[in-house]
Amino acid sequence: MNSFLLTLVQFIAVILVAPFVTGLVRMCKARFQGRHGASPFLPYITYATLLKKQMVISKSTSWVFRLVPFVVLATTLFLVCVLPLLVFGGAFVSLGHFMIVAGVLALGAAFLVMGGLESASAFGGMGASREMTLASLVEPAMIATFATFSIVTGAFTVDAMFANAHILTSPALIPAIAALIMVALAENARYPVDNPATHLELTMVHEAMVLEYSGPYLAMLEYASAVKLTIFSLLVANILFPMTLAVDATLVAILITIAYMIVKVIVVSFLLALLESLIAKMRFYRMQEYMTIAFFFALAGLVFALIHITL
Amino acid sequence: MNAQEILHTIKLSGHTHGSLVTLESVSPEWFTPLCNRLSAEFKLPLSLLYATDDRKEGKGFGIHVLFALDASHEWLLVETTLSEENPSYESLTKTIMEAHWYERYAMDMFGIKAEGHPDPRRLVHHENVPANTHPLRKDFAWNTKMEHANEPYPMHHIEGEGIFEIPVGPIHAGVIEPGHFRFNVAGERIITLEGKLFFTHKGVEKLLEGKTVAQALPFIERISGDMSASHTLAFAQAIEQISSVTVPKRAQELRVLITELERITMHTFDIGNMAGNGTGFTVEAAHGFRVKEKIMRLSERVFGNRFWRGFVVPGGVSKTLSQEELLDIVKTTKEVVQEMEDLFQLGRHSDGLRERLETTGVLAKEVAVAFGALGLPARGSGVDRDVRRDHPYAAYAEMQPEVFTFEKGDVYARWKLRALEMVESMKLIEKICASKNDGSVRVDVHVKDGMAIGAVESWRGELLNVVYVRNGVIARCVPRDPSFCNWALFGAIGPGNIIPDFPLCNKSLNLSYSGTDL
Repeated sequence: MNSFLLTLVQFIAVILVAPFVTGLVRMCKARFQGRHGASPFLPYITYATLLKKQMVISKSTSWVFRLVPFVVLATTLFLVCVLPLLVFGGAFVSLGHFMIVAGVLALGAAFLVMGGLESASAFGGMGASREMTLASLVEPAMIATFATFSIVTGAFTVDAMFANAHILTSPALIPAIAALIMVALAENARYPVDNPATHLELTMVHEAMVLEYSGPYLAMLEYASAVKLTIFSLLVANILFPMTLAVDATLVAILITIAYMIVKVIVVSFLLALLESLIAKMRFYRMQEYMTIAFFFALAGLVFALIHITL
Repeated sequence: MNAQEILHTIKLSGHTHGSLVTLESVSPEWFTPLCNRLSAEFKLPLSLLYATDDRKEGKGFGIHVLFALDASHEWLLVETTLSEENPSYESLTKTIMEAHWYERYAMDMFGIKAEGHPDPRRLVHHENVPANTHPLRKDFAWNTKMEHANEPYPMHHIEGEGIFEIPVGPIHAGVIEPGHFRFNVAGERIITLEGKLFFTHKGVEKLLEGKTVAQALPFIERISGDMSASHTLAFAQAIEQISSVTVPKRAQELRVLITELERITMHTFDIGNMAGNGTGFTVEAAHGFRVKEKIMRLSERVFGNRFWRGFVVPGGVSKTLSQEELLDIVKTTKEVVQEMEDLFQLGRHSDGLRERLETTGVLAKEVAVAFGALGLPARGSGVDRDVRRDHPYAAYAEMQPEVFTFEKGDVYARWKLRALEMVESMKLIEKICASKNDGSVRVDVHVKDGMAIGAVESWRGELLNVVYVRNGVIARCVPRDPSFCNWALFGAIGPGNIIPDFPLCNKSLNLSYSGTDL
């Protein structure tokens, strides 16, 4: 009962805070650029408005196009249930094996790609091809990162890895955490990989795939991206500060962990906005270099970890 | 070699009026060989090719080719007359690449056939315009309603394994004018790129015919919103030459002032837009646009509108500027240029940004020369041409602005060039505001009949306006925006780059749709 309650708290808190994270990053970016920017709560209104709108769906699409928003949203919600975002020891943590996590992320990406291809528009195809290129580069880096965590902690579920006391004591984790941050940026279509704010169709990756969606389906897809951004923000924060997570389902512990969560998303949003204001987007053909660096960071961590345990 | 020496060498004699030397009525069979010789032997850049419909005067159709003699500050106009029944001549494009769009334009608008043109497709007319519609012929009424036709308008197409065709536009995500671009790509790499413009043809040339100078002026000012001062100046200069009017000294200086202010305005925008929106280095865009607003508000304070309109008029300028206004101009300009200099330095020191700009969208010098590239893209590729120095007008002969060039021809070169030109413009503005010249700024213009060419170096590049006045009204007016010559550069700049870099190449040229699509 305790674990079920913890998961429920985490689930509700994350899905409630997700639009705020997207809005906050936008507002921080605007402030860094010297603009006033919209309220961080605007995405709530945007999604609500989209839900009320009529959908325009091309006749050339099949049922897959309609299925995509559900699968993409479901994959992110699944991750909210199994990952240690606010609490340790939730009800479904045993499903949080790192290979499952990577697989579910890939499933979401694959369906998004299909959605992009479905509409048969040039931009959707272009976005899909770029997303697949990136996905194939992100995947090894992500698996190597989690493999490092796994070797250091001796656990296979993300929950157990993060809860392990050794998590911050191994030097092998320094490159692995760097790799995780790079992977997180790529996974969430942020700088320097993709520009979520661009209006230039020719440069889009993630946005190009959702270009043909409208109304409630678009709301679902945008909401899924917001949730995914929140998941990764919290994951990166939690690996550095695992003590901020709740383990008991007492009211005090839950309130504290929620307060911590808000602090964590604010700090991460601020840092993300800072990064996005400091650098230009990378040329698309430099992506393999960026992802190779991420992979080698992760690999270095893995090698250190293996040396560490054999010694 | 000046025009007389060239004419002496080729054993012809022309008619000289000011800096314009005209070779009238060259016979059609000698016309093309003569132009080829002028281009190949004397390396004269072809600045303009335009047609006229002189059937009412019993002279059939006219084809006019304007060559620029930069060293001796002259223009050489070669003209031929084509028969009414079969207006055709041997295409110049076969040997002079610069003529390619002009000849297609004349084919569409006048029905004058350039025999052997390597690419005789339609240019202005889209599929919906019926065959044999030639709107600039005098017997075509401007308000003719046309049938909706379905004529072929093929675009370049490549076939092969893994080659995809990507149509983009004419409606774009940004707030810009309509233009369709067709990419043939292998993966992300662009193999061919072609534009289809002329979606919002306004018929300016047609509408100007039969108008008095005063009536025509508002049309000219609105040809391209970001170049209204330059367009008006080119037109005013042509009218003044026709009417043999000498513009007062102070007015000449104030004309330099307003065109340089226009240059600073648009360079401010471009520096921000290229570095900011083109690459996602958004800080540059946000601040660039803020600074641009400052200078547009200066225009509003001094001239009563945000677009440098209403100041240049035939005969001078519309008003004299008070001491306070001049001080305001100097102060604001300095502020703007300094802020942009800071932003420029910020961008120059960002490795990520330079990585995006350098080696992107390279325009080779030979290509720039062959296509007749003008203005910034030409100077960025090492083509040292600037009307302000090569065909001085207004007060530029005394002011002698410095002309900058770069050799690399990439987006970065064009970006740096803007920053350098801005500082130079500021120096000119300071000189004019400190100038002791005063007195009248406008003389009356009694419009005479005749023809003349006005040339201005707008911020985009060489801008020409050929005006024919007959019976006190405009018989033909050819405003040639530099964009018209530069649009085709995309076909040369694009290939080899990757698709996501195309918006950056596009922004580095920043061409006018409206100025091209008259």
